[in-house]
Amino acid sequence: MTNYTICVFTENTIGLLNKITIIFTRRRINIESLTVCETERKGVSRFTIVIKHEKRDEVEKIVRQIRRIVEVLAVFGYLDDEIVYNETALFKISTPMDAKPLDVEFINRHHKAWVTYWGLDYVVIEKAGSEKEIYDFFNYIKPQGILEFVRSGRIAVGRTPQGLVAYLPDADWEFNL
Amino acid sequence: MGNYLTVTAAQDAAAGTDNEGAQIPHKTIISGAEALMKSLLAENVDTIFGYPGGAIMPTYDALYDYQDRINHILVRHEQGASHAAEGYARASGRTGVCLVTSGPGATNLVTGIADAIIDCTPMVCIVGQVKSTLLGTDAFQETDVMGVTMPICKWNYQITHPDEVPEIIAKAFFIAGSGKPGPVVIDFTRDAQVAMMTAPFAYKKCEKMLSYRPRLVPKKEQVEKAAELINNAKRPYILFGHGVLISQAQEELKAFVEKTGIPCASTLLGLSAMDVNHPLYVGWLGMHGNYGTNILTDHADVIIAIGMRFDDRVTGDSTKYITQAKIVHIEIDPSEVEKIKKTEAPVIGDAKESLLALMPLVNANNHSVWRNEFRKYESEEHQKVTLRDLDGIGELKMAEVITRLSDKTNGEGCIVADVGQHQMVAARYYRFKNPHSYIASGGLGTMGFALPAAFGAKVGAPHRDVYAVIGDGCFQMTLQELGTIAQNKTPVKIIILNNNFLGMVRQWQQLFFEKRYSFVELQNPNFVMIAKGFGIDGHTCKTREELEESLDKLIDFDGPYLLEVMVEKETNIFPMVPSGASVSEIRLD
Repeated sequence: MTNYTICVFTENTIGLLNKITIIFTRRRINIESLTVCETERKGVSRFTIVIKHEKRDEVEKIVRQIRRIVEVLAVFGYLDDEIVYNETALFKISTPMDAKPLDVEFINRHHKAWVTYWGLDYVVIEKAGSEKEIYDFFNYIKPQGILEFVRSGRIAVGRTPQGLVAYLPDADWEFNL
Repeated sequence: MGNYLTVTAAQDAAAGTDNEGAQIPHKTIISGAEALMKSLLAENVDTIFGYPGGAIMPTYDALYDYQDRINHILVRHEQGASHAAEGYARASGRTGVCLVTSGPGATNLVTGIADAIIDCTPMVCIVGQVKSTLLGTDAFQETDVMGVTMPICKWNYQITHPDEVPEIIAKAFFIAGSGKPGPVVIDFTRDAQVAMMTAPFAYKKCEKMLSYRPRLVPKKEQVEKAAELINNAKRPYILFGHGVLISQAQEELKAFVEKTGIPCASTLLGLSAMDVNHPLYVGWLGMHGNYGTNILTDHADVIIAIGMRFDDRVTGDSTKYITQAKIVHIEIDPSEVEKIKKTEAPVIGDAKESLLALMPLVNANNHSVWRNEFRKYESEEHQKVTLRDLDGIGELKMAEVITRLSDKTNGEGCIVADVGQHQMVAARYYRFKNPHSYIASGGLGTMGFALPAAFGAKVGAPHRDVYAVIGDGCFQMTLQELGTIAQNKTPVKIIILNNNFLGMVRQWQQLFFEKRYSFVELQNPNFVMIAKGFGIDGHTCKTREELEESLDKLIDFDGPYLLEVMVEKETNIFPMVPSGASVSEIRLD
């Protein structure tokens, strides 16, 4: 099984998420992660979908099927080495007592993780990185007692000099920036 | 936004002043429902197939004032509306329109929508929906139509505000009719139908969309590569499909084959795009297609696929299909290319434009030796299948009925076939002369398609003689549409080929399930009496001797007519590529 990251640019309309995901359900493909956000262009959404698949040509077919949906502007499929990608995770742990102190400096320097909230009862630590880095940190912090753990889906940019929005159809785009 | 239901006369008048061209100046601010009517007129819609109900009543009320400009046909079941719209579209080349209510009205359309997407039929379905404030509350007759139709339509949209109507209807017709045509579903909430627009109605046809831009004219380099392959081919073979009819490319196809001398074969839905008597037309493809046309796909060195999609009923086992030849695939939908077969030279574009672009680049040729190979198989098939089907011995056979019908109508009728053995017999024995003469449910195989579709076809192409060829099983799925035919006095000619069996399933059970006939025999009603009950005349033909006279009566009758023909109970359709086998394993008996 190989990881494929599919980036989909769409108009921002209700129901489009469903139209895209049924392409996968119909072919019995599990979506590993899915992230949606508005892009730097107004009204354009960007989906980042990660799937695992054995056959590259099947993934190419899926990419073409997604492109076929009206309201989809562009679709790109990538292998892991063709993109720079990341995820974010949040860890909620009990506020450390004397017995189990938290080595914040080590967490910052070694794990590149940051404390985003420190309260009387609990602490929230944010860790961005690859899946492996996040799980390395997970194992490190586990003895502290994890109250809650959440990982975001993957986000990715292509390893190309120009941005993917450059491939969008020509139009008078309004920019969010 | 406030309550846009209350529009005062003052607002109306104010709106009227800056809209001088309006025909009815005192009424420039109109409701969503009336905006729909005006939008449909702007799209030159002349016919709607529909059925009223609660959530669509405001639209039906608006329609009341537009009866003189829009012909609304009241069907007997929403599935009938969808198939009638399909038949209308397939016969006329225009987009079919359905208008139904929410909930069951919408779900009854689903079969027709699924049929239209797989057979690329342009259709706009306008579906009533509960008030937008009630969405998601399980209100009376509320169904999530957006969710239900999402996987089976080309596009869907829910209108919740009257101002959206013109733009969305324009988009709907553009999407349904362009590129690879398909069904569009518009879910129209009741409050959006009732409410007044906030601005005077203005309609602008949709000609392009940012996210949907089907390519008509193919890229030059793709055409050049395809031409090179075609010019170097020793045994080229054209497989054409429905795309040729959709893009009205039949003349271009004819010119192309005549210049290149390449033999061509049709898929089931491509039938009638070429005159079957043309010397370069070698027959049709697929599970029950001709013998040589199937086998010789394995002998060609270049396959030129035009507007077809390598359906599994054409390819058999696709891993064994066309393993030796290079493929040129002319197709408007990029997602179809390489979906089934590796393609050497894809040509993304409209069939007509692509053939026009290819024409000057291909060399004139003859390929007479290669073409003769088809003749060899033809004679074998004729001996083993055709002569047996037409031997005139024993019970009357379906093939005789269709052959006689073809002779008597000079191959100029429009045949609307249902699904099953009679569909294959109609495809095999009718000698199509003109395009758009074979309308059937190909991809979905929807039993019950033919009666409403034949009605729709006659409405869409009134100058043509439409013959519905229906099995006794299929007929009972949508026979209520006899009421629609009778009410509209539409002269559809109905032929029921009655073998008292679900014939195709029975054939499979005989051949592949050791003749264990599991629920395929029917106890049929008196079809002629049913027709007469609806006010449609008809009679039953029981013997070969009566056939001539019966067909004459059907053809000459002024008005709709039903002819039931009792045919051989256990006929098998050959040739046949067994399911999952490769096309070279095609059987003649």
